Amino acid sequence: MFEKLVAIIEEQLNVEGVEITMDSDFKKDLNADSLDLFELVMALEEEFDVEIPSEKLESLTTVGAVVEYMKEKGIEI
Amino acid sequence: MKNRVTEILGTEYPVIQGGMAWVAEHRLAAAVSNAGGLGIIGAASAPAGVVREEICKCRELTDRPFGVNIMLLNPNADEVAKIVTEEGVKVVTTGAGNPGKYMELWKNAGVKVIPVVASTAMAVMMERAGADAVVAEGMESGGHIGVTTSFALIPQVADAVSIPVIAAGGIADGRGMAAAFLLGAEGIQMGTRFVAAKESIVHPAYKERIIKAKDIDSTVTGTGTGHPVRCLKNRMTREYLRLEQEGADFMELEKLTLGSLKKAVMDGDVVNGTLMAGQIAGLIKKEESCSDIVKGIVMEAERLMKGTDNG
Repeated sequence: MFEKLVAIIEEQLNVEGVEITMDSDFKKDLNADSLDLFELVMALEEEFDVEIPSEKLESLTTVGAVVEYMKEKGIEI
Repeated sequence: MKNRVTEILGTEYPVIQGGMAWVAEHRLAAAVSNAGGLGIIGAASAPAGVVREEICKCRELTDRPFGVNIMLLNPNADEVAKIVTEEGVKVVTTGAGNPGKYMELWKNAGVKVIPVVASTAMAVMMERAGADAVVAEGMESGGHIGVTTSFALIPQVADAVSIPVIAAGGIADGRGMAAAFLLGAEGIQMGTRFVAAKESIVHPAYKERIIKAKDIDSTVTGTGTGHPVRCLKNRMTREYLRLEQEGADFMELEKLTLGSLKKAVMDGDVVNGTLMAGQIAGLIKKEESCSDIVKGIVMEAERLMKGTDNG
């Protein structure tokens, strides 16, 4: 499942070849801007069939934070 | 002209004035509202107390609805978000970020929420969060910009959401308004045209630069720092772009632009100031009253749209 998440992040943020770990910060390490994050969230929602409300976006700054959020929603990554 | 946007705004025309920092103060906002559009007070980085004063002063000048634009990146955003509910402001537009966390507060207070968006994904998220409409702003506009042009952005956002889309970026006359409507917009927001309005407090030298501007006179600074800003070319932008190309660090670039918008707006420093303006500045030929601007544009657009689905 983590590979799937990484694949989505790679595709949405165009960061193929960059190492993505739980600690990767979307803005600092993966150079995402706020528009990229909207795209990423839309893609995650579609893939994992979950709704991520826009006020949550601010706290989802790292890959680990997304994994944690998914876990809360009952989705094991 | 009545449609879903005038219904949301409570205005005669679906025309909004941009929430430009320093420029969008109470006199301009009141003039646009009195002209039948929606005037906007730009909170920008002003202290919350000043924003409250601006709201009160605007109310003295108009009985019609007006709005407040909140720059979400600013530290004052939390406080201003509350003030608009306390002061009974009818409409809030938001820029530079995601207003999700304020939605509940504003909806409960009956404030209409219209986020400025630069992509379809952001528009969809905003619709889901409860936005009443979105302003889809293309990179032709002045000030802080996204990357997609209005011509490409408007129809895509219009297809992606069911709430009304208000077009911004590159519109300064009735042709622009009609074109935006044919692309799927139901309202327009203009900035540069109102910067050059009679009631605008902008220094005459800055207005003169807009009125004299040609089609290719704008440039974009800050692309490297992730906060691109469109403004008219001058010594400041030349210096900025040179430093940027040489790989200057953020602090060095920041020194050039710190307080530079205020310098342009208040002191008329057209050499070292930041003359924020959109690509459409070249179309603006004279200083006119907000009433002439709003009514002229709507009449021209209506004439052009006769016989179309929007006619």
